[in-house]
Amino acid sequence: MKKQLLIASAALAFVLAACGTPDNGSGFEQEKINVYTRDTSSGTRDGFMKGIGFGEASSDDSVLVSGFITNNNAAIMTAMTTDIAGIGYVSLSSVNNTIKPLKFEGVDATEANVLNNTYGLKRPFVWMRRVDGDFASDVERDLTLAFIGFMESNDGADVINDAGATAVNGTGNWADLVSNYPVCALDNSSVTLNFGGSDSITKIAEALSAAFSPRCGNVVTVNNHTGSSDGYKRSQGDEKDGINAMHIGYSSRPFTDAEKVGPENTRGQLAWDAIVAIVHKSNPVDNVTGDQLTRIYKGELATWGDVIND
Amino acid sequence: MGSKSLSRVDRITYFLLTIVGLISASFIVFISIFIALKGVLPFLTDNLGLGSVSLFKFLTQTVWLNGPTFVSTAYGAGFLIVNTLYIAFLSLLISFPIGVLTALFIAKIAPKKIAGILRTIIELLSAIPSIVYGLVGVGFFLPIIYSLARSFGYSSSGGSGTLATVFVLALMSIPTITSISEVSIRSVDQSIEHASLALGATFTQTRFKITLLAAKSGIFSGAILAIGRSLGEATAVSLVAGNARSGPTFGLFDITSTITSTMLTGLKETQGIDYDIRFSLGIVLMVVILLTNMILNYIKKKVGNVHA
Repeated sequence: MKKQLLIASAALAFVLAACGTPDNGSGFEQEKINVYTRDTSSGTRDGFMKGIGFGEASSDDSVLVSGFITNNNAAIMTAMTTDIAGIGYVSLSSVNNTIKPLKFEGVDATEANVLNNTYGLKRPFVWMRRVDGDFASDVERDLTLAFIGFMESNDGADVINDAGATAVNGTGNWADLVSNYPVCALDNSSVTLNFGGSDSITKIAEALSAAFSPRCGNVVTVNNHTGSSDGYKRSQGDEKDGINAMHIGYSSRPFTDAEKVGPENTRGQLAWDAIVAIVHKSNPVDNVTGDQLTRIYKGELATWGDVIND
Repeated sequence: MGSKSLSRVDRITYFLLTIVGLISASFIVFISIFIALKGVLPFLTDNLGLGSVSLFKFLTQTVWLNGPTFVSTAYGAGFLIVNTLYIAFLSLLISFPIGVLTALFIAKIAPKKIAGILRTIIELLSAIPSIVYGLVGVGFFLPIIYSLARSFGYSSSGGSGTLATVFVLALMSIPTITSISEVSIRSVDQSIEHASLALGATFTQTRFKITLLAAKSGIFSGAILAIGRSLGEATAVSLVAGNARSGPTFGLFDITSTITSTMLTGLKETQGIDYDIRFSLGIVLMVVILLTNMILNYIKKKVGNVHA
């Protein structure tokens, strides 16, 4: 019995001793970087990887450093509160004071810097509507214009911000603006507006549609998001009169020159989607470049010392 | 009351019960057929021009997807099978002794009042949904495991990994093992315990060498159910496993992934081949669970009939 007690207390002492002496001798620079990412179906991942110049990683896990952790937004945030050697990324709207947001190319990740276009790790959310002569009826054209008016109003900006992006417009309260759109005073419940394009924008676009309908004669809205290239194709491009034709198409990248065929006033930007690289609060690193992030996610920068001395 | 009317009631009851039985039994057929039909598609079709998935590579490879999502079909689930079995085994290693000894305490040692309270607690525990166990894992186990790993000089990924998964699964399966073991321990014939005591064995000797041995079959059933729960748990596991995309993982502090956590990751966002392949994983999971159950039942039959 005595012998067992002795063994048990020795084991306990060992465990306690092990807990009591954290091995900090090697220092932070020796810490292996723990890389966190969203899974390949995530729009944030797509924006992040393309934003740092590592586009092939947006849908391909096999080009990432081995041993990376795949998790959702909330889990990455939680992990950064415990893992002092971790790095992850989230939308700007998720950033709070439990983690440390990194500057990107020397610029703080703030809403102001996103709007004045100095913060670089972001992608634009843009829209394109049918050109004036292309609507089936005047009512549909007026409703489309009213929707754009709503999207750019303060109310629209609230909807966009609530859905996690940073709205770029805010032209006034919809209650004051609605008089510019007499069509909204009619009963529009027999008219359908079709939206589509980028699937990264789905959440915002659906929220905008849902908020717009009751404010404009209960117009019926249909959101069918298939990808950014369809934003142009199905509003002004070669599918504009096809079965999937739509009134407004969204894109989560700037329109290309080949897509900018219609008049200037038939397209615009509704929001920025800013993404922030985040680390543990105790991490001494303040700033990263797109190139550094690429090399971190590739595994070429393997320890935090590699980043600090880069 | 004539016997005729009674037998009619009997017949109606018999008929109704048969129908109900057939309906619930047919669910397993529906599910199997549905999963199987969807799950074999990636191997048989060319997946809209991407080429079919190789079954052999799928079952043996150590990287989940080699290439871009929606374009590549080089899926591999071999390491997931190993991870899943490894984690289920480790969690049983923890939950089995704790669960059985708790059952022994409730059934034989604890005063009636305490036993009653404990029994209610165990029942409550088994009713807690898995997502709650997952959240406990994230909020409680992960930071502890992270600092534990750090005390060994090891930088774990926020605590996510094999050990966290094993702990959460063990926590989840203890109530299952306890409640089933407790019933079978209580139903052990008291006369053989009395015989043991009369032969001069101590209470402790009797409880461990007679009671537990006699209840072996029931205890084993509890273990089989617990293993089933560990193999099939998705939500809690995906919260704490770290969802590795390659493996297999044997290190306790290294991130891992199981068949179910891989099925769940990105499930709500993905489409096409990347969606369909999750049904194939479903088939793999069902086969793994079926085989494990068959093997365990075989062992149970071999070793579980001492006192009968």
